[in-house]
Amino acid sequence: MTPLLRLRDITKSFGAVRALRGVSFELQPGEVHALLGENGAGKSTLIKVITGAHAPDGGTLEVGAETLSRLTPREAHRLGIACIYQQPALFPDLTVAENIALRLETPRATRLVHPRAQIEKAQQLLARIGADLAPEREVRSLSMPEQQLVEIACALGSGARIVIMDEPTASLTQKEQHLLFAVVRDLRAQGIGVIYISHRLEEIFALADRVTVLRDGESVGTNPIDDINESSLIAMMVGREVAQIYPPPESAPGEVALLLQNLGCAASGILDVSLEVRAGEIVGLAGLVGAGRTELARILFGLTPADTGEIRLAGEPVRITSPREAIAHGIAYVPEDRRRHGVILEMPIAQNMTMAVHSRVFPGGWLRSGTETALAKEYIASLGIKTAGPEAPGGSLSGGNQQKVSVARWLATRPRMLILDEPTQGVDVGAKSELHRIIRRLAADGLAVLMISSDLPEVLGMSDRIVVMRGGTIAATLPGGSEASTVMAAALGQRAA
Amino acid sequence: MKTGWKSLPLRHETLLLLVLVAEWLIFYFTGTTVKRGHTFGFGTFDSQFDILRHSAEIGLLALVMTPVVLTGGIDLSVGSTLGLGAIVFGLLWQSVGLPPWLAAIGAIGLGGLAGGLNATLITRLRLPPLIVTLGTFSLYRGLAEAITQGSITYTGFPASVLALGQGRLLALPTQVWVLVLVAVGAWLLVHRTTLGRSFRAIGLAPEGARYAGLPVERRVALAYILAGLIAGLAGVIYTARLGQARADAGTGYELAAITAVVLGGTSIFGGTGSIHGTLLGVAAIAVLNNGLIHTGIPREWAGILTGALLLIALTASAAAKALAKRRGM
Amino acid sequence: MKRYARELSVLGALVLILAVLAVAAPSFFQLDPLRSHFTREVPTLLVACGAALVIICRQIDISVGSQFGVCGVVTGLLAGAHVPLPLCALASIAAGAAMGAINGALVAGLRLPSIVVTLATMVIWREGLRLAQQGQFINLPADAVWFGLPLATGQTVELVAALGILAALTWASTRLTAGRYIYAVGSDAEAARLAGISPTRVTFGVFVLMGALAGLAALANAVQSPQVDPKSGTGLELKAIAAAVVGGVAVTGGRGRLWGVLCGLLLLVTINPALTYLHVAAYWEKAIQGAIILLAVVADGWRPRSA
Repeated sequence: MTPLLRLRDITKSFGAVRALRGVSFELQPGEVHALLGENGAGKSTLIKVITGAHAPDGGTLEVGAETLSRLTPREAHRLGIACIYQQPALFPDLTVAENIALRLETPRATRLVHPRAQIEKAQQLLARIGADLAPEREVRSLSMPEQQLVEIACALGSGARIVIMDEPTASLTQKEQHLLFAVVRDLRAQGIGVIYISHRLEEIFALADRVTVLRDGESVGTNPIDDINESSLIAMMVGREVAQIYPPPESAPGEVALLLQNLGCAASGILDVSLEVRAGEIVGLAGLVGAGRTELARILFGLTPADTGEIRLAGEPVRITSPREAIAHGIAYVPEDRRRHGVILEMPIAQNMTMAVHSRVFPGGWLRSGTETALAKEYIASLGIKTAGPEAPGGSLSGGNQQKVSVARWLATRPRMLILDEPTQGVDVGAKSELHRIIRRLAADGLAVLMISSDLPEVLGMSDRIVVMRGGTIAATLPGGSEASTVMAAALGQRAA
Repeated sequence: MKTGWKSLPLRHETLLLLVLVAEWLIFYFTGTTVKRGHTFGFGTFDSQFDILRHSAEIGLLALVMTPVVLTGGIDLSVGSTLGLGAIVFGLLWQSVGLPPWLAAIGAIGLGGLAGGLNATLITRLRLPPLIVTLGTFSLYRGLAEAITQGSITYTGFPASVLALGQGRLLALPTQVWVLVLVAVGAWLLVHRTTLGRSFRAIGLAPEGARYAGLPVERRVALAYILAGLIAGLAGVIYTARLGQARADAGTGYELAAITAVVLGGTSIFGGTGSIHGTLLGVAAIAVLNNGLIHTGIPREWAGILTGALLLIALTASAAAKALAKRRGM
Repeated sequence: MKRYARELSVLGALVLILAVLAVAAPSFFQLDPLRSHFTREVPTLLVACGAALVIICRQIDISVGSQFGVCGVVTGLLAGAHVPLPLCALASIAAGAAMGAINGALVAGLRLPSIVVTLATMVIWREGLRLAQQGQFINLPADAVWFGLPLATGQTVELVAALGILAALTWASTRLTAGRYIYAVGSDAEAARLAGISPTRVTFGVFVLMGALAGLAALANAVQSPQVDPKSGTGLELKAIAAAVVGGVAVTGGRGRLWGVLCGLLLLVTINPALTYLHVAAYWEKAIQGAIILLAVVADGWRPRSA
C-alpha cells in the first residue's frame, strides 16, 4: 500500500541545536501512528516540517505521489495535511457553523452567506466524527474538547487525508477522552492517517496501530503496537548515557521548609498533594505536560487559592492568597512563561531585578538609583550575567542571561523557598550548566528548592529527591539516584511491571 | 526604553522640545510688533501669561492623565469631572454657604469619588477603560447639568477665589503655581517613586507585574482616583479664572489632554512615556493656540496643525518601534 | 432566543418605558410629534450603524461627527448650486468615504491606534470646516428641503428609507461574506489571518463604510431644514457609540446586531420626551443616558467569558 506520507532522513538544525538528525517516518492510510518521545526529542519540529511551518535542511517528504524537499503551509493544506493543536484557532464570538464555513471556504468577500447550508454542512461534518454539538452554539461557550472537535471537523471538511493530533487529551476528562478515541477510530475507518502524539501510554496502547519513538532528534524505532510493551517503550525513550556532569550536593539538608498536606484545588485539577521540601535540598518535580506541576506552583505562589489541605512553612500553617503574600512568607517563583511573566524586555536589567522588592530596597517609595545599581551589579557579578551593564534593557540579553536576571529578581526577595519552573528551557548548554551551578549553590546556602523540569537528565542530575506528578497528584516519590526509566514509568503511569 | 545621556538627541522629548522652541521663535518674530517703544503681540508678558493661564487646566488634566495612560488605560471622563467639580464648588459655596477653601476641598473630594467609580468599574469589574470612561464622561456631565438644572450659573465669587484664576502670585499667574506644584508632584510620582515604576510595569506586562508581586488592581485604581482628584481641582481653577461655574465647564478638555499626552511621547498602549514629555506637549499646543492669534492666521489652523502634529508623532513613534524591533533591540 | 438575550433586554427596557408612558402620559403617543422626533434621529441611526460595525471590528472612530459636518456642508453647497439631490447624495457619500479612507489607511495600513488617529482627524476635519465656512449657514433651495415634498411626506420618506438602509446593512453584515469578515476580524484577528482573511483590508473597508454612512446621514440631516448648520454633528460620535454600546455591541469586538443598535438608539432618544411627558425635568436627560451606558457596559461585563 502506498503510504500517505513518507519522510526520509529529515534533518533540521536551529543554529547549533540539531533538532532532527535524519528521521525517517511513514504513515499508512487508515492507520493511527503514535509518536512518542520526551520533551526536546524533536516531536514538534517533526510536526512543523510536515505541516510546512519549517523547511528541513535535508531529506525528502513524499506525500502521496509527490516528492518534495520542503512544504509550505499552503501546500501542506492542499495536500491534505491538517494539524489539531491544543490551542484551537477559532473565532470565539461566532457560531460553530460560521467558524467551519470561514475556515473551509476560499476567501471571497462578495460571496453570499447561506446560513442554513452552513449549518447543514457543519452538522454533516460533526456527524461524521460523531460529535454531539449544536452548530448554532457560539464557540466561546464550548469547552476545550468541544472546540477541538470543531477543529477536527474543519480538518475533515478540508479533505484532509493526514491528520496530526498534538496531545489532544491533555485537558480532557475520561468521558471526553473516550469520545475522542471514537472520533479517531472513525477517522481511521475512513482511510485517513492519524499521527497521534501523546505521553499517555494507555492511550497509545488503546488507539495506535504503530508507534515510533523519537529520542534526541533520532528515530529509535518503529514497532507495531502488538509487538511491544510499555517497558521497552520507556527504555527506548530514555536509554542514553547521562553525559552531563551535575554539581553534587554539598551538605545534608536541614529543617523542613515547606510541607504540603493533602493540598487540593478543584479548578486547577490538583488532588491530594502531599510533599515536603527541606532547606538546602533540591526537590525535582517531574512529570509530563498536564501533570499539574505548574498548577501546583501557582497555588504555592498565591495565584490560585487552594480549596483543601494545608501549607506549612517552617512548621507554621499559612494561607497564601496573592503573590505579595507568598513573597512576604519567603516563597519565590521563577515562572515558566518567560515572555509574559518574566523579564520585562523594555525595562533595564536593574529595574527588572528590583521589581519584587520595592518596599525593602526603596523604603518610603522613593527610587534610589544608587541602591538599585549596586544591587544589580552584585547580582550581575555573583550570577555571571553577561551584559553591557545594569542599564541595558532586558531584551538585549540572551535567553540564558535573561533567566539569570529572573533568578536575581527572586533572590532579591531573600526567600526561604525557591520554586523554579523549567529554569533551563530554551537555554544554551553553557548557560544551562551555569544555572545548575547557581541553583546548587543556592541550595547550599540554605534555600529550599523545588525545581519543576521536563528535562529528565536535569531532574536526575540535580535533584536530591524526585517527586513525580501525574494527573494532578503525586505518582511517586523517588530518591535522588533513581533510574531514568523509573521516573518515566511513574510519569507515564505504567502499571507495576 | 531609551535611557541614558547618549540617546538624548534622538528621544521624542528632545525633538518635541525643538519643535516647541522653533514654534515659539516663529511666533515671536512674526507675531510681535513694536510701536512707539511698546511691544505688542506675542512677545509681551501678558501674552505669555495668557498662555500659562489657559494651559493650567488642560495641563493639570494632561499631567494626571499620563499615569493612567502609562498603565495602558485611558480616562475620557476628566473633562466632565472638571465640569462637575466646578459646579459642586459653586454649589457648596453659594447654596450651602461653605467658605471657599472648604468648598474647594469638597469639589476635589467629589472628583476623587468620580475617579473612584471609574476605578471600581475598571479594576473590580474588569471592564474596558475606554468604554467605562465614555459612560462616566456622559454621566458626570449629565450630573453637572442636572445639578444646575440646565441653566444655573454660579457667579459672584469673592476676590479670594478670583485671585486664584485671575490674579498673580510672585509675578506669575496664580494658577501657574498650582500647575507647577502638581507638575513637580506628578514628575516625582512617575519618575522617582515605586508607584510610577509599577505603572510602567503594568502597562508593559500586566500579568508579569502581578507575578512580580505588584498589587496591580490597587495601583491602577489609584491612577484613576488621582485623575479624578486633580480634575476636581482643575474645575475650581476654571471657575476662578472665568469667575463663574457653568455645567459646560471643561467641555472637550479631555481630548486636548490626551492629545498633549500622546504628543509628549507617551504610548497609548502604556508602559512608555514621561511627565516632561506631557508638559512639552501641553506647551506646544498652548503656544500654537496663542501664537496664531497674534499672527493673524485664522485660529482654526491651531487645531489643524495640532491634529497633523499628533499624526506625525504617532507615525514617527511607530516607525521607531518597528526599526528597534528589526534591530533586535 | 438566548443568543438575542442582550438585544431583547434593551427592547424590553424600551417597551417598559413606552408602557409607563402609555399609562402615565398617553398624550406622548401622538403621530405628528413622534414622527418628527424619530425623523430627527434618522441621521444618528445611520451613523450609529457605521459606528457599530467599526466597534465590531474592534476599532473606534470618534471623527464621525466632524465627517458629518463636512459632508453636510458639501451637500448644502451643491444643493444650493441647484445640483440635483441624487448627485448631492453621491458627493456627500464620496466625501465621507474619502475621509473614512484616510482613517482606514492610518489605522489599518500604518497600524496606528484608532482612538488617537480618529482624535486627530476629528480635530483636523472640524477645524478645517470651521476655517472654510466661518460658521456661515448655507441656505437650501426649497426643492431640496424634505426632498421638495410636504413635511409629513418627507419625514415618512426618510423614516422608511432609514429602515430600508438598516435592513440592507443588516443583510450585508450577516448574509455577505464580507460582513462575516468584519465579525471574524473583530473576534480574533490572528485566527482570521490563518483562515486566509486579510485583517488590513477588512479594517480599511469598515472605516470607508463608516465615512460613507456619515455622508449619507449628513444628507438625511441637511434636507430636514432650510439651512445647513456647519456646526451640526458635534457630539454625534458619542451618541452613536452610546447607541451601539447600549444596543449590545461589545467593545471587545466580534459581537453585536444592528437591530440591537436601533433598539439602543430608540431607548436613548425616548428618554427626553418621556421625561417631559412624565414631568421630570429635562436636565436629567444626559445623566440618565450616561447611567444607561454604564449599566449596559456592566451588564456586558457579567457575560461569562470562557477561554
